[in-house]
Amino acid sequence: MNARLRDDARILAVFAAVVIAFGVLAQHDAGLSQAGTYVAIFAPAAIGLSILLGNVNQISVGQAGFFGIGAYSVGYLTVERGWPFWTAAPLGVVLAAAIGVGLGFVALRFRGHYLAMATLAFGLIAAGVFHAAPFLGHASGITGIPYPQFGPLTISGHAAYWFAWIVAFAIALLSLAMLRGRPGRAFEAIRNDELAAETIGIPTRRYKIIAFAYAGALAAAGGATFAAFLGLVNPDAVGIALSVDVLLMVVLGGSGLISGALFGAALIGYLNVVGHQWDNWREVGYGLLVVLCVIFAPGGVLGTLRRLAARTPSARAAAPLPAVGAAPRVRAPSAEPLAVRGVTKRFGGLVAVDEVSFALQPGTLTALIGPNGAGKTTLFNAICGVGRPTAGRIAIGGIDVTGRQPHRVAALGVGRTFQNARLFGEMTVFENVAAAAAANRRVADRRAREVIARLGLDHLAGVPAKDLAFGDRRRAELARAIAAEPWLLLVDEPAAGLNQPERERLNADLLALRDAGTTLLLIEHDMKLVMAISQRVIVLEFGRVIADAAPAEVQRDPRVVAAYLGTAT
Amino acid sequence: MSALLEVRGLRAGYGALEVLRGVDLDVAAGELVAVLGPNGAGKSTLLRAISRYDATLRGGTIVFDGADLTRASTERTVRLGCLQVPEGRQLFGRMSVEDNLRLGAFVRSRRTVESELGTVYERFPVLAQRRAQAAYTLSGGEQQMLAIGRALMARPKLLMLDEPSTGLAPQIVEQIFAIASELARGGTALLIVEQNAYLTLRHADRAYVLENGAVALAGTAAELSRDERVKAIYLGGSTV
Amino acid sequence: MLQLLIAGLTVGSEFALIALGIHIILRATRVVNFAQGEFSIVGGLIALTCAEALHVNAWFALAGATFAGFVLGLVFEIAVLRPAGRAGGEAGVTIATIGAVFVLLYGHALIPGWGSDSHPLAGFGGPLNIVILSSSKGVGAIVQVQSLWVFALLLVALAALYLFFERTYYGKAIRAAAENPLGARLVGIDVNSARAISVALGIALAAYGGTIIGPITLVGGAAGFALTIKGFVAAIVGGLESPAGCVAGGFVVGVLQVFLQSRMSYDVADPLVYSVLLLMLLVRPQGLFGRRDAVRD
Repeated sequence: MNARLRDDARILAVFAAVVIAFGVLAQHDAGLSQAGTYVAIFAPAAIGLSILLGNVNQISVGQAGFFGIGAYSVGYLTVERGWPFWTAAPLGVVLAAAIGVGLGFVALRFRGHYLAMATLAFGLIAAGVFHAAPFLGHASGITGIPYPQFGPLTISGHAAYWFAWIVAFAIALLSLAMLRGRPGRAFEAIRNDELAAETIGIPTRRYKIIAFAYAGALAAAGGATFAAFLGLVNPDAVGIALSVDVLLMVVLGGSGLISGALFGAALIGYLNVVGHQWDNWREVGYGLLVVLCVIFAPGGVLGTLRRLAARTPSARAAAPLPAVGAAPRVRAPSAEPLAVRGVTKRFGGLVAVDEVSFALQPGTLTALIGPNGAGKTTLFNAICGVGRPTAGRIAIGGIDVTGRQPHRVAALGVGRTFQNARLFGEMTVFENVAAAAAANRRVADRRAREVIARLGLDHLAGVPAKDLAFGDRRRAELARAIAAEPWLLLVDEPAAGLNQPERERLNADLLALRDAGTTLLLIEHDMKLVMAISQRVIVLEFGRVIADAAPAEVQRDPRVVAAYLGTAT
Repeated sequence: MSALLEVRGLRAGYGALEVLRGVDLDVAAGELVAVLGPNGAGKSTLLRAISRYDATLRGGTIVFDGADLTRASTERTVRLGCLQVPEGRQLFGRMSVEDNLRLGAFVRSRRTVESELGTVYERFPVLAQRRAQAAYTLSGGEQQMLAIGRALMARPKLLMLDEPSTGLAPQIVEQIFAIASELARGGTALLIVEQNAYLTLRHADRAYVLENGAVALAGTAAELSRDERVKAIYLGGSTV
Repeated sequence: MLQLLIAGLTVGSEFALIALGIHIILRATRVVNFAQGEFSIVGGLIALTCAEALHVNAWFALAGATFAGFVLGLVFEIAVLRPAGRAGGEAGVTIATIGAVFVLLYGHALIPGWGSDSHPLAGFGGPLNIVILSSSKGVGAIVQVQSLWVFALLLVALAALYLFFERTYYGKAIRAAAENPLGARLVGIDVNSARAISVALGIALAAYGGTIIGPITLVGGAAGFALTIKGFVAAIVGGLESPAGCVAGGFVVGVLQVFLQSRMSYDVADPLVYSVLLLMLLVRPQGLFGRRDAVRD
């Protein structure tokens, strides 16, 4: 479990103790009890938004809509249809999750302020539906919602406090478990670098939709308890103001931390009670706090406290790099690892890649070179599924992958690095590599340890990627790219920025991979490196292949000389 | 004659990456100096360091016309007369050709704009023809001329061009270099970064060849165009 | 019918100004200002204070409110938006504008003399109403003279902004800085100042809008956020990235709202208007007048 989740769990434990203590102290004070219950009712919506905003970086101003779905489901089903709370509430949650999936699809199409507006629109429309639907009581909503019955027990009064908090903590623990597992690691990768996440096989679109559905379901759970314990629900209570309040809780408490969401809900709840005579001053205060948080304390109260208390893991002393070990043999398919046929990519009027065709032999190292703007990275992108080629076909291991999404190409056994080393900055080196290594946690961790040791990154395993020195970043990215033991590896300018000893080490690593059966395609500008390790060189100029031969021949080819240096008159 | 631009021991990079590892370079008024070298050698980083954007300076000095640039803002370098036409040109695509040119004179007094505009139109008649068109509708070569014209509107003492030949047909590239030579004859200092070595050497007075962030070769254009080591630097043979 | 149309265009004028202000600020900061409507409300209240406390006529009040909006905009950009952007990127700025909504919405109610009520604002002069006879059926429409002032003043604002951005040197420099900040720096334009001026103009426009509509809809009150949202709808309908689109969208939404409100209760009409927002986002996010490439993520 990573450091943040561990801290989160610890703070939650403390929180639980506080909640229990408060519950005991407040059992005879109806006002306090109710205030405490309110915090528990709004907490789930905040937790959901915290995950959406803090873990997946999707801004949503529509949580109130889902809250309302949960509340109105319970209201309508219990009052009009006589259902018990125990069936009405889950139905509301499921309904909210389904609609959350829909909103997730919409969210895929938008970024930034368009996404905020789309979620805002959703919240407003939900409020409108609540208002307009005849069976939902219009402006006065639904009243007389009965307390939940548990056998002979009516859960009301102070029992409501305990119930609501049990629900809230159950949700918190469920969320922690989710963040600890695959979805959580996928979320973190997506938040750090969506493109790199796709390239290591994470289906980013699917996870974004899951995040929206989950956040919606959580808010609905809160709404269900709201309806049951308040006894009524109306459109005003679940309007846009609530969405903004939830955002407030998350920003102030600390987005990305489950305990942050709880803290934010408690903070707002407490301030609402303490300051209830100074409505306007209080709200102005919230606004100022939000602005101050954004500028000075982006992690909210808890996030900032955590950051202040954290000790930066120091890199252990750099041990001398171990000798290059043999890489595990890869199982390559029998067909050609990569076959590119007539691939063309046009951007508007500009032809970046022009009718490029070649096929790689298994277990070989081929270099792709060419002057600036020749189309090399564009070709890589097309092969990996980043952007669909305008024409032509690409087959990997005999399977046509033209236009497939990057995570599906990666799943076939393809690894890739980027020109600017797109690591997941806030994750440690170990987490970066493990995220790519395998779906199963145990297998992933084992493979990650092995790769890190082999590439001499042991002493940096616990260091956040953003703190790495440049040469180490490149090696870490290579480690991540090979963690899943791909049989086809595309490497984009791996030597850029490396000093001489680092380049020699890179050569050795790449050759070891080739010797283990990996097929490598390398974009590189360092001619010495290219000439030293490649068996075949393909030269691009203006998007076309102008040479495709052994290195020595290419070096002498007058067309290649002219492409790089111009013609000597 | 003291140089207009004096760079000594320049170290610069981006974030954790160090690109330039100690570069020395001079450009005098009326000279056309080329900076050559393979990709990744640091040529663009050099221009960005001088124009003070994107690249972080780690050490060394940059003196332009007597002024220390190491802590200047981009806007200040422009006001001092050091203009750059960057890679990708950075035109105001949705604005007209004429507006782009006029804005080029932002740092100069309004009264001179009209006469400068006239000079630029004389030098680039195709721009005059297209003065009301939006910049993004121009062809690659025309856009390059517009970018150079825009820089000229500020009456630069030093004009720096970053890979002006990218994506352009050979005849257009020749035209652009001819204009550069003419400007140098008129007294402007020119610093041209290019990957295309031999073409640039035909027009330059002096040249530097960068490799891995440092100056590997320096000399007159004539010397370097005969030097086999240039080819080796680009294509990976040995450099002695 | 004509009556409704005129009412719709009047209301739409304010939406148009909100949408245009959002557009100007968006272009400069790449972020949508959630607090635009609040600045509009505050602008109207400032005009009220000018008129009552300083005993000036409506014209000076308008000038005062617009100027105050400009200054507020400068402060907003320099003290709030810029640091928020540095610390939290675009998401941070968006959240900061939501924080600003709270500060303005509840804060303005704390100012003595303002409170959370609406107040009447003196008009710009002229008789109360004009009666127009429509050509067919002899059905007349009663037009408030203030509506005509709103249209006229809207045109004045649009003309002034057009002249500034399209015909003055500095206006062009600001557009250039918004379109290509690096290119602008390379010709010596200070991009930070350009952005601050853009935001100031956007807020000034909000204040201006809140004031000219004041004589009709009163100034003050809690409707600021709803106003911002209607402004969004207008901008999305017309085209967030197109100034003409924002204005046209304002009129479309204004007329739509008035027609819907004449047929059903406010609480049902408003959500229908918001549904248009979602519909446009799904079907044609670049708006009626926008270009396709403006939206792609």
